[in-house]
Amino acid sequence: MSELAPAEIRALSRIVEELDYYQLLHIDPSATAQQIRSAYHECSRSFHPDAHRQTDSELRRSVEQIAKRVTEAYSVLRHPERRRAYDRQLAAGSGVRIQLAAAEATARTARSEQSGRTAQGRQYWSRVRADLERKDVASALRNLQTALSFEPDNAAFRELLAELRPRRA
Amino acid sequence: MPGIAVGIDLGTSNSCVAVARNGEVSVLANPYGEAITASVVCFREDGAIQVGNTAKANIIHAPGHTVYSSKRLIGRYFFSDEVKKARAVCSYAIVEAENHGVEVEVRGERYSLQEIAAMILREMRSIAEAQLGEPVTQAVITVPAYFNDNQRQATRDAGRIAGLEVLRILNEPTAAALAYGFGRGLRQRVAVYDLGGGTFDISILEIGDDVFEVLATAGDTFLGGDDLDDRIIDLLAEEFLQAHGINLRSDPYSLEKLKLAAESAKKQLSVEDEVEIRIPDIAQGPQGALSLERRLGAQEFGQRVGDLIQRTLKVCDEALQEAGISVRDLEGVVLVGGPTRLPLVRDAVHAYFQTELRQDVDPDQVVAMGAAIHAASLTSQTSSQAAYLLDVTPLSLRIGVAGGLAESVIDRNTPVPIEQTRTFTTFKDRQESVAIRVYQGESREAEENEALGQFEFSGFRKARRGEVEIDVTFEISADGIVQVTARDRSNGEAASTRISLTSGLSESAIQGIIAGGRSDRVATSGSALVEKRRGQAPEQPPLPLPEPAGASGPAAAAAAPEPAAAPVDADRAPLPAAAPVVVAAAPLLVDAPVEAATAPEAGLVPLEPAARFRAAPPAAAALPARAPVPPPAAMQAPYDDFLAPGADLDLETELGNDDLSLDTEFELDLGPPRASAPLAARPAPLAGAEEPAADAVGGAPASVDPLEAPTDERPALGAVAEEVALLEEAPTREIARPEEEVEIELGVDAGEELTPAAPDPVGEIESDLRAELTPADELRPEDERERDPDLALSRHREIKQELFEISDQELSASDGGDERG
Repeated sequence: MSELAPAEIRALSRIVEELDYYQLLHIDPSATAQQIRSAYHECSRSFHPDAHRQTDSELRRSVEQIAKRVTEAYSVLRHPERRRAYDRQLAAGSGVRIQLAAAEATARTARSEQSGRTAQGRQYWSRVRADLERKDVASALRNLQTALSFEPDNAAFRELLAELRPRRA
Repeated sequence: MPGIAVGIDLGTSNSCVAVARNGEVSVLANPYGEAITASVVCFREDGAIQVGNTAKANIIHAPGHTVYSSKRLIGRYFFSDEVKKARAVCSYAIVEAENHGVEVEVRGERYSLQEIAAMILREMRSIAEAQLGEPVTQAVITVPAYFNDNQRQATRDAGRIAGLEVLRILNEPTAAALAYGFGRGLRQRVAVYDLGGGTFDISILEIGDDVFEVLATAGDTFLGGDDLDDRIIDLLAEEFLQAHGINLRSDPYSLEKLKLAAESAKKQLSVEDEVEIRIPDIAQGPQGALSLERRLGAQEFGQRVGDLIQRTLKVCDEALQEAGISVRDLEGVVLVGGPTRLPLVRDAVHAYFQTELRQDVDPDQVVAMGAAIHAASLTSQTSSQAAYLLDVTPLSLRIGVAGGLAESVIDRNTPVPIEQTRTFTTFKDRQESVAIRVYQGESREAEENEALGQFEFSGFRKARRGEVEIDVTFEISADGIVQVTARDRSNGEAASTRISLTSGLSESAIQGIIAGGRSDRVATSGSALVEKRRGQAPEQPPLPLPEPAGASGPAAAAAAPEPAAAPVDADRAPLPAAAPVVVAAAPLLVDAPVEAATAPEAGLVPLEPAARFRAAPPAAAALPARAPVPPPAAMQAPYDDFLAPGADLDLETELGNDDLSLDTEFELDLGPPRASAPLAARPAPLAGAEEPAADAVGGAPASVDPLEAPTDERPALGAVAEEVALLEEAPTREIARPEEEVEIELGVDAGEELTPAAPDPVGEIESDLRAELTPADELRPEDERERDPDLALSRHREIKQELFEISDQELSASDGGDERG
């Protein structure tokens, strides 16, 4: 276990509000999922409240504060879509923390983009997928156009359309 | 010198206690040499209370006075399905308590479920003390991973009533994983399949040496070994009815006999292919006593319970999906719980996971052993014994918002400890309070979730609307216990908090129970028996220490103490495993050292406030400390009754009109009509975050979506809170429910004053609310469809989308993709 000196913990708890999730977990913004997990484990060894049961209460509160922030960071970064939402926020310079619910909502939107936001959109999208399985590009294109008629601004649909059109030609 | 810390598996059917010392883990057997003790409490005619297998044998003789499977009831609301089900099948009386909680009534006395659990814990503690010869003062107590906050809190309170400092409430599967992997330097992913007496849990863990990370957990608190027994009971009772025209279920005596026979048959089927069930004299027929005899084969049993096992596998699907992995990623399955001894369960689990079954630890003891390891780790001064348990919350934590919906603040399977802060603002000039409802569960509909609490913050500075910003912090501790704090953002001033609507015990009630010392009767009756016996029987030889755990750690320690090898009291035979009926005898109880230890020891009980919902003291701006205690029970009770109905729990339908009669002890000045306009709360934009804007936790009835808010909807919760705030300040008038009932009660005398709470201030409020929410609208991505007035048909659309769920699944199946949700 990585023992941290009380002074280090106090110092970290003072700046923890300013650290982004990558800095907090001490990883590179391009870290892989496995690196994120390892970093979470490593941080837990240092900051898990259980590791500091014996310390005085003021220090323990600092540890708990850091621990909660570490789990928050991990909760966001371990899900690729939440992580993307967070990365966008970081890039836009709008804060180093993201609400879990907000990150998840963005992730959900991204997922629904993938499969369609409306019932009809999803229905035709699934036909498109089935067509592609059968390599029936013509039918896929027809169904994709129908799907787009329900969700004209669906980025995932448009992307596929752009991809299929030349193939057909 | 503090006493020893043990691990206690407080099970639905059986409990087990273990200790980890000097690197060895030992299960502590009871005085009969049994590693597990029935979680049964028998109230004897002479006032003595027996716990354990002896008490269990009494179920037949004193069905109404013997409490079993009480874990199914702890931390539940009286109107919950589980309690209804228990009332239908249990032979003891289950009655409603304050705050819609549950109590059992035995021999004219009422006991909270926390007290019943405390009696079992006390017995487990005394078993440990007898074995160790030292006082036991601290414990890690395990609960099903899927337990909600109310159930966890109640279990923790039970520990305190039993005189234990509860070091941690630990999830059973996590404890099992710890027992499996502790000190072995493993790096692997495992599933823990935990089929207990009354609950089913599945957890997926990643073990990285000393770190045990729960990736996901799922469960079913309505499914366990008891349900397998029920299927055998059904079979036997049905056939008996057809053969003899006698319904065995209608006679409590016959039914209890059936239950014991069914349980025993199930256990035998763990080791044999076929069992012979024989219950002599089970009923009285026209030609004399009738017996029941039948052979039951494993295959037939399998057909009877196959659907239940399938149900557990569906839950496994869910957990794997949440963890984002497939069975191929797992390197083993740890089996927990007695029913996992059944070949049919093992086969099904093996076929599902297609990986090795890790059965080197006894499934009945593995949880207690893990809890003991954790207890030792938490109390150890050195870090060499450290194990880091990174658990998750099993259920989403939600706040109530407009339109009877509940919005997730912390999703299920989020690692704990965690904290999330939402900012709310006042909706009204000089507003004095805001009210918040907190739920746990997976439904967008508030009332389909478990209500954790409904509470109100007041005491922040009075200002123009929108000027006061209140940070409300939702925190889930490493125990999975929820705390909510509120603070006025501008001045760091703590807001005072009032809780209501929780089935739990108030701090004063817990203190009352501890002072009343009823659960001490478990021990005192025991010591009396020991005293009595001393005259006749020779001095009890010191009990041998439990089996040494051996060099290889947990696995070796798993060897359960065999009943025969243990010291047995002269007039008390060890229980034969399969014998349905057991000679009732006084349990051998512990000697002097334990007597000393079980003496009241208030000094050892940490008197931390049980209030989970507390206000942060002003001083601790960054780090809220524990502070005030909830209001005295006398005040809280009527307050709860006042707030509870209709708001979320639909009590009207559940409890009938009687329950709607109003508390008359309470007086209230409702103030001028405008005063009760609901406050809405607007989330202050979190730095750049897209925050769902309809955080109108004030619960304004005026849902932003006109279609969602029929004008006769429930009144604003904000209004309720306000009234309660007023109520404290100037008690002058009788309170009435701010529901439709208001009008009924109104007729009496409180006409004008109650107008504000009456159902239809909607028009006005709605416009205000819209104004308030407009700027924030852009900031909410998630639930736009739900609340944006421009997309009023969203609900209908969503229902339609649900209808298309199948095509979604087909889609993900066809491309092998991972779209979920």
